[in-house]
Amino acid sequence: MSDQVNEPHWKRDFPIQRTEATKVSRRDFARFLCLVSGGLATGSAYVAVKANFFPPEEIKGEHFVCKAAGVPLGGTRSFVIEGSSIPYILIHLEDGSWRAYEQKCTHLSCAVYYKPGSGQIVCPCHEGFFDAMTGEVLAGPPPRPLPALEVVMRGEDVYVKAGNEGIAKNTGRM
Amino acid sequence: MSNFKDAQNKAHPNKTNTLMSALIVILILNVSIQIWLLYTGLNNALGKNKDVALPAFIASLVLFLIGFFWLYFLPMGYREKKNK
Repeated sequence: MSDQVNEPHWKRDFPIQRTEATKVSRRDFARFLCLVSGGLATGSAYVAVKANFFPPEEIKGEHFVCKAAGVPLGGTRSFVIEGSSIPYILIHLEDGSWRAYEQKCTHLSCAVYYKPGSGQIVCPCHEGFFDAMTGEVLAGPPPRPLPALEVVMRGEDVYVKAGNEGIAKNTGRM
Repeated sequence: MSNFKDAQNKAHPNKTNTLMSALIVILILNVSIQIWLLYTGLNNALGKNKDVALPAFIASLVLFLIGFFWLYFLPMGYREKKNK
């Protein structure tokens, strides 16, 4: 009886043991797994709807980037196409050819850069390497090749237009 | 009248434990497959290969429905018995 008198008031107001408060029953855990399952199905639905009904806008026509003399051999130039916020990188390779890719790594969208003389585009965040000629992944965590634009030379001017499938096959990986 | 649930609730705890573990293992397996489906669907959609996204969603939905109706088989323990 004396124990009950000495018991602090909060214990009566909140009569829940610590073990009860922290315990997760297996039933609750199974229900939680089902909830996670529902969330993943919803995520897949979002991806399916976005891919089928809201495809990304394709670049139309040719866009002027710069004068060819403005980019030396092994040099690069960042640019953005009008009406779009995607950053691109124009590369003047050592063999004289031109390439243009999205400057966002396909892993976690870090900015990639061309390593002069190596023929490789590097993502510094997680050591991802792309082939500068094709945009294909050489090493590291990126799951897909860099999306490419086709470079068109008109005299001394460098133009880009929507990517050529022959340069970089944007096929996903499982 | 006795039904499936009554019989299950009266089962030996060993049996109930095994059943519960099996159900949870299946649910974890389902969720793992769904994570892979989401990853694959998203990866292919971003790579302009959108044909994978819809089948991946349908498979994911089927797995969710399996998991949802799976919960019916969760043992309830002796709670029912105590209420009576």
